[in-house]
Amino acid sequence: MLKDITIGQYLVGNSFLHKLDPRTKIIGVLLYMIALFTVNNFIGMGAMIVVSAFFVLLSQIPLNYFLKGLKPIVLIVMLTVVLQIFMTPGEVLWQWGFLKITDMGLRQAGFMGTRLVLLVSITSILTLTTTPIALTDGIESLLKPFQKIGVPAHELAMMMTIALRFIPTLIEETEKIMQAQAARGADFESGNLMERGKAMIPLLVPLFLSAFKRADELAIAMEARCYHGGENRTRLKPLQYTAKDRVALLALLLMLALAWATRMV
Amino acid sequence: MSLTVNDVWYTYQEGTPNESNALQGINLTINKGEFLGIVGHTGSGKSTLIQHLNGLLKPSKGQVLVDGLELHSKENKKSLREIRMKVGIVFQYPEYQLFEETVEKDIAFGPKNLGLEEKEIKQRVKKAMKLMNLDYQALKDVSPFDLSGGQKRKVAIAGVLAMEPEYLILDEPAAGLDPKGREEFLELINHLHKEGLTVIMVSHSMDDIARYAQRMVVLHQGKLVLEGKPQEVFTHVEELESMGLSVPTLTKLLHALKAKGLPVNTELIEIQQIKAEILRALQERKGEAHA
Ligand SMILES: Nc1ncnc2c1ncn2[C@@H]1O[C@H](COP(=O)(O)OP(=O)(O)OP(=O)(O)O)[C@@H](O)[C@H]1O
Ligand SMILES: [Mg+2]
Repeated sequence: MLKDITIGQYLVGNSFLHKLDPRTKIIGVLLYMIALFTVNNFIGMGAMIVVSAFFVLLSQIPLNYFLKGLKPIVLIVMLTVVLQIFMTPGEVLWQWGFLKITDMGLRQAGFMGTRLVLLVSITSILTLTTTPIALTDGIESLLKPFQKIGVPAHELAMMMTIALRFIPTLIEETEKIMQAQAARGADFESGNLMERGKAMIPLLVPLFLSAFKRADELAIAMEARCYHGGENRTRLKPLQYTAKDRVALLALLLMLALAWATRMV
Repeated sequence: MSLTVNDVWYTYQEGTPNESNALQGINLTINKGEFLGIVGHTGSGKSTLIQHLNGLLKPSKGQVLVDGLELHSKENKKSLREIRMKVGIVFQYPEYQLFEETVEKDIAFGPKNLGLEEKEIKQRVKKAMKLMNLDYQALKDVSPFDLSGGQKRKVAIAGVLAMEPEYLILDEPAAGLDPKGREEFLELINHLHKEGLTVIMVSHSMDDIARYAQRMVVLHQGKLVLEGKPQEVFTHVEELESMGLSVPTLTKLLHALKAKGLPVNTELIEIQQIKAEILRALQERKGEAHA
């Protein structure tokens, strides 16, 4: 059940994307996102889909695993699409009472829906091919220049690493406690909103307690090993830019330029 | 009257690269009134198996029957909860399930979910605490989080006992307790069995299983590989060792003595009997030497 969540998970692999420097991938995802919101016609959107599909192929992630990861957003996408269809003004194509579908509405809905799916796809590809450690190292390194104006790059990155590290643990813990309470007859699935909210107490109290306990233990364990923040820390695996990264970055910049170009079509 | 597991298969995360076949065709019958031990190496599927016994997990294939009623069958979908009440599970480190303000309220959580009356609930809480050697008057209004580790665990088990299950499943009930706490705990569980409860205990300790279980099963990589009375199972020393398991310390001693040429019966479990057996064998040898 809860284990189906794949967002933020890493899949071991040896593909081209796995081997890229995390900074390249983070910048690449940003460039892709900008391009995604730049394109405003069908050719451009089609191209973005092709690019995304190409990344999936390149990552060697099993297709059904990848698609499963998109399941949790189906509801949000549908909601967006429906809202866009009925709420956008334009030339009316069909009307029933106060509900009306416009040509612009259809177009907007199609675009927003596609954008959302692609957005989640590209971020999933990033996290599926990048270990959490590499990801935060990349973020820290990219935030370094902003340290001068007071951005705590190292601390932010460390917090992210820890948060990412503990997501699976917390999910596991939640499942365990849910089972233990279900064995005592707790019912998490039926009842109205109030009842359901109340049914969460036997789950949340133990969960928070154990999360706080873990946080405490982790802090002590880190201090016991002399952790003292970002100053003078060295890395086991320093980030390294290679020819691959330059090629990838160049290709992505080209993609962004082409995305702008399609606006002129 | 029994718990029956019919050719049960279970796969975690089916259809993903992390898929794991945790159970592969398990067949097992647990009779009312017995004390069954389940042993196996880490990851052999013990916890997965016991979660099937009260319907917390649904088999990928096969069925589980509680007193002849199938869990998760289409006909008695509604009764899953009722059937579940017959089978109480105490998970590993059950103290993590505590959440109420007071010990009494926490133990009452299960009976309340059964929809019992206030009076009946109170009765059951008292009875369950007594069974777990907890003083009702002294502890009922204490926060469960202020108790010691061993006491917390007793409260958690009392919470399951208060539902008055007919079958009690315990996953590593003594894990993480000091030797004295362990001893007390296992004696309490043994007492529950003597009172008529069917007990199914998962344990890593062969010594504990040898002392308390009437019958035992050994799981290995999701399959049931050995089954029988502890003394029978422990004769398969090499097989057990190849699965990363050991035999009880005393059984090991008997086997070592036999290997050295002392003709002892290696199937004994009770420490007094073993002592007598070794003395007898030594006497015999002495006699032979004199002759
Ligand atoms: N939630 C889960 N998701 C995926 N795989 C799991 C999950 N729980 C258990 N497994 C896998 O199923 C197998 C059996 O696990 P199980 O917890 O039943 O073992 P166990 O015998 O109870 O081990 P232990 O002695 O460590 O408690 C293991 O290989 C484990 O990795
Ligand atoms: Mg286990």
